[in-house]
Amino acid sequence: MKCIITIELGTNAVRIFAFDLNGIVIGSMKGFYPTFHSQPDYSEQDPEQIFITMLYVLKNLLNEKIHPKKYKVASICFSSSMHSMLAVDKHGVPLSNAFTWADNRAKNEAKEIRGSALADAIYDSTGTPLHPMSPMLKIAWMKKNDAATFKQAGKFLSIKSYVIYQLTGEYLIDYSLACATGMLNIHKIAWEKQALDFAGITPDKLPQLVPVFASAGTLKKAYQNSLGLKEEIKILVGSSDGCMATLGAGIWNSNKATITIEDSSAVRVVGNKMLHDEKKRVFNYLITEDCFVSGGPSNSGGGIFEWFAKQFGDFTTAYDIESCMNNLLQEATKVATGSEGILFLPYLLGERAPIWNPDARAMYFGINIKHERQHFIRATIEGILYEIYSIGKMLNEHRNISSLSVNGSFATIPFCAQIISDMFNKPVDVTKNANSVSIGAFLLAATDMGIFKSLDEAASQIEVGERYSPAENNHKIYMKYFEIFESLTNKLGDEFEKIAALQ
Amino acid sequence: MLQFLYQQGAASNLSLFPHILELGAKKNASIQLQSFPEQVVEGVCIYFINEGRFEWKITEQPHVLFPGDVVLILPGQKFGNEKGILDLGCITWMQVKFQKLESGELVPGKWSGLSDHESMAVGKLLTLNSNPVLSKLNDAGRILHSIAYEIHHHELGFVTRINQMIDELLITITRQLTKQNNPPRDFPKVFMNLEASLRKDLSHQWSVEEMAAIAGMGTTLFNERVKNFTGFTPINYLINIRISEAIKLLKKKDVSITDIALDTGFYSSQHFSTTFKKLTGYTPGEFRKNNSYHE
Repeated sequence: MKCIITIELGTNAVRIFAFDLNGIVIGSMKGFYPTFHSQPDYSEQDPEQIFITMLYVLKNLLNEKIHPKKYKVASICFSSSMHSMLAVDKHGVPLSNAFTWADNRAKNEAKEIRGSALADAIYDSTGTPLHPMSPMLKIAWMKKNDAATFKQAGKFLSIKSYVIYQLTGEYLIDYSLACATGMLNIHKIAWEKQALDFAGITPDKLPQLVPVFASAGTLKKAYQNSLGLKEEIKILVGSSDGCMATLGAGIWNSNKATITIEDSSAVRVVGNKMLHDEKKRVFNYLITEDCFVSGGPSNSGGGIFEWFAKQFGDFTTAYDIESCMNNLLQEATKVATGSEGILFLPYLLGERAPIWNPDARAMYFGINIKHERQHFIRATIEGILYEIYSIGKMLNEHRNISSLSVNGSFATIPFCAQIISDMFNKPVDVTKNANSVSIGAFLLAATDMGIFKSLDEAASQIEVGERYSPAENNHKIYMKYFEIFESLTNKLGDEFEKIAALQ
Repeated sequence: MLQFLYQQGAASNLSLFPHILELGAKKNASIQLQSFPEQVVEGVCIYFINEGRFEWKITEQPHVLFPGDVVLILPGQKFGNEKGILDLGCITWMQVKFQKLESGELVPGKWSGLSDHESMAVGKLLTLNSNPVLSKLNDAGRILHSIAYEIHHHELGFVTRINQMIDELLITITRQLTKQNNPPRDFPKVFMNLEASLRKDLSHQWSVEEMAAIAGMGTTLFNERVKNFTGFTPINYLINIRISEAIKLLKKKDVSITDIALDTGFYSSQHFSTTFKKLTGYTPGEFRKNNSYHE
């Protein structure tokens, strides 16, 4: 019996799944790796620990779930979080830790380019918003602030490229992850010279561009032996976690949008051309030559609610943070739609789409003497979801979204799924599987093996779960509040900047 | 409260307890100059505040102390009042001499009934502690008073009982400081604190007991939580860090493989080699050869 293995190099952990060819999960394991914050704005991970953790988890999964049952591994497909940047010397040895997507040290470089004429040209060409998360700006930062490392660097890689290099000795990056570097010309599918010039590098400093279906090369002998894998196994370069979560949710070339809310969130649509946003707010990631995943990411999500629970939750009866959050959700359901007039702006972590302002900060607005604790609970949840709605509204300017699919631990909470449906005034399907990224990677590998004719056909295999329908009345209430939410966010630009400077 | 001061060498009361450097209780009713100057201590000092409000400087940091507080001062640390005066109030204290092992670790010593593992863990946790004040620890005050009672009355079995009570005092304090240093219900934060401690001292032979104690948990709950959060048992997670650090050192040519093994906490280069090969398929030597370059 053959099986497919997917490896997701996520933000905090590697998650490895094994599927049989029908898409049934045979086994899965995860391995945590830490993120270091040595200074404000710094967010780093150790590439060696990520590699070793991946190897360790893969070995355990193979030895416990695959080899004993005589499964034959047909292919291994990678996916990873976006925007990581790792400088290695000319022998491939890391010169420092990898900068993660959450690393904001390049904020001055972002400000600089956003104010310049170059910004429009680069967005037209790369389809990616200019934000400190972008490896283009991280490299520019390094050139300016860590010239010694910059000079020594032989290549600037993503974490996935580094892991693949360890396994096969090839420097590769797929189109979709290359988009997330902010340096890929998505029309020509080649590195964009203006972006590289801004970063201060030439194309030879970047890994080779390959399609998501490309083979990553042959597994090194030592790893064949230690893992018990055959030389002929195909290792697929694969894609990014965001693109795979979209494929795994069954969203492909339709008028459906997918909303993912874990700690942070994103709203995405798939289409055959770039969504050209005049305000440069929308990302466009190229999956294959004529297929784009477009959308907006948000820092707001379950992480914000968890913060609320830690500060204001009742732990006298709750066993842990999960049960505390459940109790809070229970209390929130008792409050009327709209929280009787409290609005919450969820910008605890600054914000990406749609306002792209790292200085944005959170607030509660509209509090009066009658408001009680439970109003704040519901307002917090509603605030997080208004923000998601505002991203959907932005995408709706480009694409007529007719229905939604939600996944991720926060979005799939029934209470939240219903609010999303009410806010958007559209039906919402809750994705059955919690592991959309892995399923997406499985579908990619299965398509590569010829099990599906195309990614469209693969995506259509995904069964949807429960469907939530909008309540017209609630929608009207939410829209009245959203108007205030939106204008507050727009009005507070100067104040955000001033308060952030004091912090 | 009875006031007294016994000091090793000066008081016959302590001749059966060579590890107790000092035991005292003081009810201070008047402010006197130079009664409480800053000084460097030799042993582990445990002060309990019974009454009053005290302003002390401990390792250059000012602290205000209230009844119920326990102050923990480690060998070589400086503490006292900046102006040299003792504020009004009532305190009880004890100074215990710890033994320094060849490896540099502090342990209570032979008199203690703690097992070797427990002694190491207690020593480790006391030295790792960065906050010298433990609040609302009335249990510590109760134990100190019982020790004073036993030393005054000399009833049958008092030597054994006093040593047991010092052990109990150390356990009480160690447990409290791990609880105090760990935010409740925020396991990710607790784990990252532990992670940082492991990295700071990777050559140390960490036991699960020590790691669990840093996290402020029993070993059963700790194992379960770590497994849930990281996907690994605590020891395997540690091996992960060790191998990752070893790989970085192997890629630099100037460190010998034996040194790498010991620096990253393996028992021996043999142990390092077997563990490394099992995971990566390479021996450390082969790995280095495959990742070194002739310039």
